[in-house]
Amino acid sequence: MILAGQDMRHITVKLMREDLPRASLVMAELEAFSPDQRPLLEAELPEIPGEDFRSRIRRAWGNLDRLVGLIGGLPEDDGETPVLVLQREQLIEIDKWLVDAWRECAPCYEELHSIEDDFRELDQLKRSLEEFADLDVDLSWLQGEHEHLDVSIGSIPVENIARLREVLALSNHLILNVAGDGETRRILIVGRREDAEVLDSVLRAAAFKPVNIPATFDQHPNQVRDELEKRRQKLEQRSSELYSMMSNWRNSNHRQLLRARQLLEAAEPYANVRGAARSRGVLAALQGWVPASRLAEVETKLKKSLRLPFVLESREPRSDERHLVPVPVRERGLLKPFSVLVEQYGVPRFGEFDPTILFAVTFVGMFGMMFGDIGHGAIIVLTGLVLRRKLRSFTYLFVAAGASSMLFGWLYGSIFGYEHWIEPLWLAPMSDPIYMLTVALGWGVTFLTVGSGLAISNRLLSGDLAGALFAAGGLFSLIFYMALLGGLVNLVQGGGFPLVATVMIVITLVLLIGYQWLSSDMPYGERIFTTIIETFEIVNGYISSSLSFLRVAAFSLNHVALALAVFTLANTMGATGYWITLVIGNIFIIVLEGLIVAIQTLRLEYYEGFSRYFYGDGTPFRPLRVGRSRNPTIN
Amino acid sequence: MSGLANQAYLRTRLAIMSENLLGREKLYELSTLSLDELSKRTGFDKFQGADATTRLASFERTQMQTWLDELSALLRPLEGPARRLLTQWASRYELLNIKALVRGKIGQLPNEEIERSLFKLPGFLSLNLDELINTDTVPELLRNLLKTRYKSIATQALRRYEENPDPFLLDATLDQQFYSNLINWAQRLEGHDRTETLNMIGRFVDRHNLVWSLRYRYNYGLQTSEVLYLAIDGGRVLNRARLQQVLQMDTLEEALGKLPSNILRSGQMPREITNIEHAMRTDLSEYAEAAMRRSPSILTSVLAYLLLRRGEIRKVYAIVHARVNGLADSILDEALNPLQDIAA
Repeated sequence: MILAGQDMRHITVKLMREDLPRASLVMAELEAFSPDQRPLLEAELPEIPGEDFRSRIRRAWGNLDRLVGLIGGLPEDDGETPVLVLQREQLIEIDKWLVDAWRECAPCYEELHSIEDDFRELDQLKRSLEEFADLDVDLSWLQGEHEHLDVSIGSIPVENIARLREVLALSNHLILNVAGDGETRRILIVGRREDAEVLDSVLRAAAFKPVNIPATFDQHPNQVRDELEKRRQKLEQRSSELYSMMSNWRNSNHRQLLRARQLLEAAEPYANVRGAARSRGVLAALQGWVPASRLAEVETKLKKSLRLPFVLESREPRSDERHLVPVPVRERGLLKPFSVLVEQYGVPRFGEFDPTILFAVTFVGMFGMMFGDIGHGAIIVLTGLVLRRKLRSFTYLFVAAGASSMLFGWLYGSIFGYEHWIEPLWLAPMSDPIYMLTVALGWGVTFLTVGSGLAISNRLLSGDLAGALFAAGGLFSLIFYMALLGGLVNLVQGGGFPLVATVMIVITLVLLIGYQWLSSDMPYGERIFTTIIETFEIVNGYISSSLSFLRVAAFSLNHVALALAVFTLANTMGATGYWITLVIGNIFIIVLEGLIVAIQTLRLEYYEGFSRYFYGDGTPFRPLRVGRSRNPTIN
Repeated sequence: MSGLANQAYLRTRLAIMSENLLGREKLYELSTLSLDELSKRTGFDKFQGADATTRLASFERTQMQTWLDELSALLRPLEGPARRLLTQWASRYELLNIKALVRGKIGQLPNEEIERSLFKLPGFLSLNLDELINTDTVPELLRNLLKTRYKSIATQALRRYEENPDPFLLDATLDQQFYSNLINWAQRLEGHDRTETLNMIGRFVDRHNLVWSLRYRYNYGLQTSEVLYLAIDGGRVLNRARLQQVLQMDTLEEALGKLPSNILRSGQMPREITNIEHAMRTDLSEYAEAAMRRSPSILTSVLAYLLLRRGEIRKVYAIVHARVNGLADSILDEALNPLQDIAA
């Protein structure tokens, strides 16, 4: 049996606090250590060192990111720069330098944003000019106070217009000439002069941005356009000045920026060990997981790099921590695409049966059975080979699934839907659909029984005896399933429902209900509810899952039926039409039905298989590495 | 929502969950207990930590997690607008985080202090707070928020802040957007679910509009039109025209005289804004209690339960917090029930 992550060891490095950053860096360089954040050593070593260090690093990265965002990206590391251990003093210096650097550049950043807004306003103004060009009015009149009227023109977020219109109606103002597109609209508001103050306060709340109409708006349109163009040029000039300033700043600080990034990256491993490092006074410890095969290498490298004495202790994972042990992802060669699909569902828990091989075999088998056709299978194989550069490891999946289709096509005697070119090695699905359905059901029962067997063994391996016996997919539910199946088979064959099966069903049901009842600590009402529902789910689960496998036969029949439909359609055409319909029909079958069959196979694997026997809640082994790792949320 | 099975599931689940609600008497009883007894009864004694603040923070997080777990269980059979409505309701806490960030930035608080004041939320609600905290100014914070699903809120807030950097305007913008989205989802429901949830949300909106409009108008001295603009659409009793009649009065006393009589289901409206807020909150709780048990819309019952449960969780936390910090009984009483003296 293949079990996931068998060779992991838990290690504790007891060392002097001074050496912690160096030890973290060594571990990161080796990429063989995954920190264990549990507070196992809290009693002896209550402190988590480096809190201040971490918050400084975060702030420093924040400032560096903002600077890089403003001045443009920095070149990638050449990989030859030696990795340094960042000292506290250096971090303080880098942090301070970055704070000052950002302070120096922030006004530029703000001004660039303000220029962007000005460009937008200019665009608004230009469009307003074009819209009002045909009106015989003095355009400068569109803004400010008049003898009786107060007029405002400006832009407003589109979603605020309805509300503003409603509120302004209450104070006798009107919104005119709504125009523009995107997220903002240009509006013209007219009201009584004595209500101007009221209007201002509402507009402020409505995020109204007035358009600044130049005094020259009463002039000839061409002059106005010139005026706007001058404004635009001024803005462009200022913008390019700012960019050039930033470029100069970047050139004169390039080396310092690179150094900052290099030092911050070097500090990342220490920052990322977090609670895996603990200390008290000058003593410290670092704990985590290391593959047994790399233990000696880790010890040798630590001996070489640490200045002060240390002790490395290692042990096998305890039974109560099996679900926490990270599982290294193995290079799998031909099995890689299948392991990717398994990981889409979940990572195997430490010591759990790794389902990749079983998944690969059953996936390929079921696909072939549902899509059995020598011609279609060959095209899938060829497609995989032709697109191998794009598909990469998934080429294997295409080839295996296509080959399986070809094999079943041979068994069914089907080539591109023709059922009479070759003699079927087994049988043509349409010749005996009931037999096909029975085979599919038999396959389903085998699949579910193997699945339950694996579930029992996985639970026993993880020390969950109660789960292995009583939970869904456990021993008693399996006995229940077998008894029910045996009884039904006997009944169908005319022998009635045997007493022994009835007794076994009753006993297992009582045991399952009893377990559900005892394992619930909910209030009385909820306990009854969950016990009934959970037991019903176990019983119903086996029946519905078995029936689910009927689709394996149904799709093999469907494949033939689709081919028949294509032939019928083709036969209604002339000679050219016949071949065109045949080609298009076959492409349709390969693409559409092939896709549906692949999805259905995956569904059977995930829902009828994995959900039954696979925990899939393992932690992938993510070793500490040199370089930046982003922390998306604060925990 | 559709499907008898889902209705039955939710009704049963809700009937069982409603046993978790303590009710006023039990809450009062908790407030009279000693710290030791209270810690045992609320489970606070299980929280270990270097100091009381750390223990209280862990306790608060666990309480919040309990509420979110219940929300997740109730969300399970829901789909479409009903599901979105409840998720939107839960995102209230993310919005509170954004408000805390904005206030922190305005007050130029250290990042660590801002971080401490944030709710730790589960994945489906969590923003990338690292980037947001690492900003210097409110506009920069809001510009970063433009990259998130709060884009429309951030756009509005940014424009308003640039025109007028008033923190309360930002708060109002965030609330307005939150309730607009909530109402938007409720309007997409059908049948009883639509009318009943809109009625329930309308009561939230009434409470919010009344309390904040009175504050803006009579405490901060804002113009009536501006206050009306900041009010949220979708109130049940207080629509904008009605609110205008109230806010056009020169004094708070006169404004209260113009309130519709059915704004409270029972009792008299107090004369101070803090007490008005409490009275509206109590009124809403009573309505939610009735809706939870008798509403023909299961979605409204779920919403009512979540509202009541959250309210109680907050009160339990407040009681524990007060006891841990050694507050006097009278202060605790006053905080939990400011209307006591008036009623007496």
